[in-house]
Amino acid sequence: MTSGSLKRMIREELSRRSLPKGGITDLPGQEFRTDATAWGILAFGAAGEDSENLERHRGRLVQEQDKAGRLCIDQQHPDSYWPTALAILAWQSSASSHEAQNRAIRFLIDTTGLHRPRQWFDAAGHDPLLKGWPWIDGTHSWIEPTALNVLSLKATGHAQHERVLEAIRMILDRQLPHGGWNYGSTYVFGKEHLPMPESTGAALAGLAGMVGQEKVARSLAYLQGETDRLRTPISLGWTLLGLAAWELWPSNGLALVERCLANQSRYGVYDTSALCLLLVGALAGEKGNNVDLLTNSGGRPPALGIS
Amino acid sequence: MAEDKRLQWSVTRRDVLLAAAAGLVIGSGLLLVPKRYFRMPQQAQSFVGSVADYQQDIAGVITRGVDELGILPAELKGKRVLLKPNLVETALGAPHINTHPLVLRGAIEAFLRLGAASVMVAEGPGHRRDTLAVYEESGLAAVLTEDRIPFHDLNYISGYDLPNAGRQSSMRTLTFPALFKEVDWIVSVAKMKTHHWAGATLSMKNLFGVMPGIYYGWPKNVLHAAGIQNSILDINATLKPHFAIVDGIVGMEGDGPIMGDPKRVGVLVMGRNLPAVDATCCRIMGIDPYKVSYLERADNWLGPVSEAAIEQRGESIPSVRTNFNLIETIPAHQGLRLA
Repeated sequence: MTSGSLKRMIREELSRRSLPKGGITDLPGQEFRTDATAWGILAFGAAGEDSENLERHRGRLVQEQDKAGRLCIDQQHPDSYWPTALAILAWQSSASSHEAQNRAIRFLIDTTGLHRPRQWFDAAGHDPLLKGWPWIDGTHSWIEPTALNVLSLKATGHAQHERVLEAIRMILDRQLPHGGWNYGSTYVFGKEHLPMPESTGAALAGLAGMVGQEKVARSLAYLQGETDRLRTPISLGWTLLGLAAWELWPSNGLALVERCLANQSRYGVYDTSALCLLLVGALAGEKGNNVDLLTNSGGRPPALGIS
Repeated sequence: MAEDKRLQWSVTRRDVLLAAAAGLVIGSGLLLVPKRYFRMPQQAQSFVGSVADYQQDIAGVITRGVDELGILPAELKGKRVLLKPNLVETALGAPHINTHPLVLRGAIEAFLRLGAASVMVAEGPGHRRDTLAVYEESGLAAVLTEDRIPFHDLNYISGYDLPNAGRQSSMRTLTFPALFKEVDWIVSVAKMKTHHWAGATLSMKNLFGVMPGIYYGWPKNVLHAAGIQNSILDINATLKPHFAIVDGIVGMEGDGPIMGDPKRVGVLVMGRNLPAVDATCCRIMGIDPYKVSYLERADNWLGPVSEAAIEQRGESIPSVRTNFNLIETIPAHQGLRLA
């Protein structure tokens, strides 16, 4: 397996999942989904797809954006706005999506999860006051949506925004003492919870370029120790992206991706978002594959005048 | 006449005020009486099957349970059955976190033997977004692949809304997987565990995992924000699952649902009515089901919790009861112990 064959696979597989008027389905022949479309655009972009096709899919995401600037999993469920960060990334470098992207950025900057000061009786170990972002409106901040939003804001030049800086502190606060992250729970009733590769990979990608390596050394070691046993696309995809962000992409990465792709005979055809995450993670091991949005992009100039 | 007048005047303003105050006190007192005392009593059956370990004939025990619970062959013949296990996360050396894959295999064999047209397994873990990783690492993938049984990830699946029939939380609607429209029986195949927020997690709490993560987040944040106990009741009242099987062959005691210790009980508990099944499980665990808030509130609404109202089939509760370790520093465990 080479990066050339991966790019061909992306183009062929996503063409089967593309809708004629723009938008990408969750599985071949199934329904449009916002996150699948955003991930599809990111994978198509990494595979060098022509810009006309990309713009068609980006245009579909613009249609899905609501007045508040958010993109939800579907329009019937406006609280589920976690795909907004993915759309911001998918719209990057697209002049026609610039306005929509700015509205989405403004939405994220102005939105937070539920937070409160720590109480003496709290059973959980983390600081509930530190703001990140939730998966769903009206709930607490958790690791993966926060990491995704940090990635999207870094990519659009807002790495030094106070919301990003607080989110970085929030991610570090949720890091497990023995290394790694899970969905965002460190201790409960005095017991340290277990790390998860997908959460750890996303957190490391979010933190890259923002903190020194010594702050995440245990987490990098945890993730490197997990890599060889990973067989599923979400875990392996985020692991490859997280390690690539710290220039630790594994030498056997492509073999692991090949094994994971072959496992579709066992698990069934992969959901588009999971498949694209895996393939983008696979391409992250080679420079020049246009996946830096997800691996390290802290230093770009701001797209908006948001401070 | 004079006596009548005296009687008439004997009801003073003070008396009226006293009577009103007494009425208020009685009325307020009635408000404090649990709602279950004002409901029509319900009846149900639950079956406790003895299964020493996972190598035993689990399909045989489930088949016997279904028969003893009076489920007629016509109720299952040609039906599409969905089994919902309890897959949370995995940890080396901790298979007791999740429903054992051989219990799923036993249930599949039993339902097919009883005439079901098809059986599928579906789950949307609350902690891990990578459902397939839990599916693989729990050992379930190996079993279902060998048995050629489909598995569905309920976290990434389109949903349909139903009005919240439970109305215990502020959620006006609940979003269930569209896949549920294609099945006839939904079976909660849960694990017998203590739970540090809910007291115990059994067949009712297991249904958190049917709520798709793409709409509810991880760890099913919306349900936590709406109140765990409220959400358990709302999901059960709205979905109305058809059957429950609880894997108590090896359960979890202490700091469940993930950090606790294995507890060998050697039973499968099953029945049509989930509160009744869970109440039976609690008694086996040495937990007073009336001290588990969602069960107390479900009593005689979603099903009976009283021991007298649950007709026990199979093994008796005292013959299999083994007290699960409870942690007194965990508020949800305090006062749970069954006398």
